[in-house]
Amino acid sequence: MTFAGVLLGVAIGIVLLSWVMNLIGRDRLYVGYGVIFVFGTLVAMTVLIVPPLLDAVTRASVRLLPVPSLSIVALVIFTFLMVYVFTQITVLSNRVMRLAKELAIRNAQQEGDVERRAAERR
Amino acid sequence: MDIPPDRRCRSLVAVPAYNETATIRAVIDAVRANLPDCDVLVVDDGSRDEAVAALSGSGAVVATHLCNLGYGHAIQTAVLYATRLGYDRLITLDADGQHDPAQVRGLLTEFDSGRWDILIGSRYVVQRKYDGVPLGRRLGMQLFSTLVGLLAGHRIYDTTSGLKIIGRRAFVPLTRWHFIDFHAEALVYLMRLGFRIGEFPITVRERRHGPSMYSALSHVKYPLKTILMLLLGVVHADLSRRRAS
Repeated sequence: MTFAGVLLGVAIGIVLLSWVMNLIGRDRLYVGYGVIFVFGTLVAMTVLIVPPLLDAVTRASVRLLPVPSLSIVALVIFTFLMVYVFTQITVLSNRVMRLAKELAIRNAQQEGDVERRAAERR
Repeated sequence: MDIPPDRRCRSLVAVPAYNETATIRAVIDAVRANLPDCDVLVVDDGSRDEAVAALSGSGAVVATHLCNLGYGHAIQTAVLYATRLGYDRLITLDADGQHDPAQVRGLLTEFDSGRWDILIGSRYVVQRKYDGVPLGRRLGMQLFSTLVGLLAGHRIYDTTSGLKIIGRRAFVPLTRWHFIDFHAEALVYLMRLGFRIGEFPITVRERRHGPSMYSALSHVKYPLKTILMLLLGVVHADLSRRRAS
């Protein structure tokens, strides 16, 4: 990989990391999903930055599955799409969670009121 | 002289429960016997067993999640309930019978000294080491205890204890930020916001019924998620403080 390629890879990694961390911080991406992207990106960036690691991974990948380097672009796009999809799932899941909590609290409040009234009558 | 009822500190004991039929009734009965002046809330976190039926006539109010949301969210439901009903402090206990409600009195006395916003019932604060704990768990506890010390400036030895007393002042931040299990990540977040968190020695019984809430996979995912939330919590808390000032 050329130096420019490594720089581009690291830049994409930093953008992805910042985006994912920001989404987790704003509760738009569940931390359980986010952690996969964060540590996956960190591993990929480490491989890019450390030349012997990059050589080893390149050699192994070419031997196992020779693919044109353009497929990396597709992989990057796919990763960003995955983050977006998981964000939508998280938003939906947060709404369900809020509803479930609200229902639980309202039912408990009603139950508490009934018990209090019964205790007052006693 | 007796304090008039409307001036007394109102306490809510919250017990998050998930599939704890075997122990929940005994735990609630022990809470009612040892803390008769406290109201009791069980947060049933979408149990698939008969936990709610076991509580009939126990005097506890039950808040049932329609599906399993996790421990952190069960605690948040309890905090929201306590906020809405105007309680002054929330006492959290595990539903598996590990905590003896009789020990809560000691914690309440310490909490009432006014030195703490949150007081944790701690298994390790006296010995300050994790003897008898399985290796993996011990390493995790040491790691998170050290991280809390580094990031918040005050070491907490039992970051995973389920026995806590939470003062009213800490209710709002606990419902605004999202936590995983209300452990190290929540403690660091609150301490960075300026809340005073302390530990009080307790002893716990061994869990006798059912599996722990931690699966084999969670031993890998939990530390990673918690570290991420610790870092985000520090940033979020510092930004909140800066905005407030």
